[in-house]
Amino acid sequence: MFRLSGGRALLRSVNTLGRRTYAEAAGDFLKLQFALPHQTLFAGSKVTQVNLPAQSGQVGILANHVPTVEQLSAGVVEVFEGSSSKKFFVSGGFATVQPDSTLSINSVEAFPLDSFSQESVRSLVAEANKNASSSDEKVAAEAAIQLEVLEALQAALK
Amino acid sequence: MFLRSGANCARSVAGPARTFATLREIEMRLKSIKNIEKITKTMKIVASTRLSKAERAKVTAREYSSAERQFYDSAETKPLEGEGQKKDLVIAVTSDKGLCGSIHSQLSKAVRIYLEKTPNADVVAVGDKVKTQLLRTHSDRVKLAFNGIGKEAPTFEESSLIANKILQLGGGNYSKISIFYNDPVSSLSFEPRVKPVFNEAAIEQSPSFAKFEIDADSKVSQDMFEFTLANQILAAMADGYAAEISARRNAMDNASKNAGDMINKYSILYNRTRQAVITNELVDIITGASSLG
Repeated sequence: MFRLSGGRALLRSVNTLGRRTYAEAAGDFLKLQFALPHQTLFAGSKVTQVNLPAQSGQVGILANHVPTVEQLSAGVVEVFEGSSSKKFFVSGGFATVQPDSTLSINSVEAFPLDSFSQESVRSLVAEANKNASSSDEKVAAEAAIQLEVLEALQAALK
Repeated sequence: MFLRSGANCARSVAGPARTFATLREIEMRLKSIKNIEKITKTMKIVASTRLSKAERAKVTAREYSSAERQFYDSAETKPLEGEGQKKDLVIAVTSDKGLCGSIHSQLSKAVRIYLEKTPNADVVAVGDKVKTQLLRTHSDRVKLAFNGIGKEAPTFEESSLIANKILQLGGGNYSKISIFYNDPVSSLSFEPRVKPVFNEAAIEQSPSFAKFEIDADSKVSQDMFEFTLANQILAAMADGYAAEISARRNAMDNASKNAGDMINKYSILYNRTRQAVITNELVDIITGASSLG
């Protein structure tokens, strides 16, 4: 329903618009299931909006969103509960919107954004950069994936 | 060794003559049972302490896999049919360690029954126990086997490595993939269960797939299949691990109880025999003394 296709600037403007719609969408909430293999972050709790880093671009999900399946790339999942919001950095995964307005996010790893330290990210980037030019194909490929995640993390931390 | 000495003891109980030698034997046997009881008690305590961790892992893994299950339920995904030439794949999830009752053999039994019904199914064995049991009867069907499973609560890393190997084997080409695992029904019982994993063609041909708005060109269904495979293997491993730990706890509990019963029985037998030996010796001494006097 409020599907936003790509573009952070667009997202920002719709964010404020999304906030204005809270009043009229007060009756029906989005049920969020946010699960990791080793931990359950949200188990069917009611939230107002969730922003997802989908591979097709940033997506904001409100209640009664059309059923869809989105593949997530490394980025920030932002969960709005009323006026407060929680930010999680995910490494990737899948998000599914069910017909009954349930959003299921399956991710391999997710941590609150404020639990990351800028310095260690920077040193990891330096290390990954070194490995990316390795002659061993496997090491280089792994480093490229690392870089992708770390750059997304760096951008999110700024 | 135990068998033989057990048989000897049995004879000594039945026979009227009790000599000093059997007393020694009974003493040795009593000691060995006491040692076994100590070991089984310790194993039970170890299993009990692991149980809570295993239960937690099971609950989170279930929550994790149920999110996906909902998608397949609302899309009404079914395994593809009418493709007789394509093969079935069975993933049997157990672990490497025994001493936990019949949990592994029950799973192999379920797999075996399935294999009898579907002659063109291949097997991937996760864990040494199911591998050795299936190799005995269906050695040509086992395509891939993993060990080193079930020492600790399973992690996503393990399951994704297993899923990766299965995909390298051509996991996507099987028309139907079933995961066999032990489901802990309660803390006292378990049951071998089967759950399906759908490949990308099955996902795309789901009757209610059109309900979902999905980019057709971004290969969502293929990635989804691979991700689901790893997730479902993880959930099966977590369920199996919890079932195994509670089964081991129960098995060790029963073993300790049985050992306790045996210890009681043998202590009585030991004391009686000792008493008999003393009486015999007394009789000897008294008859000797009276014949002298």
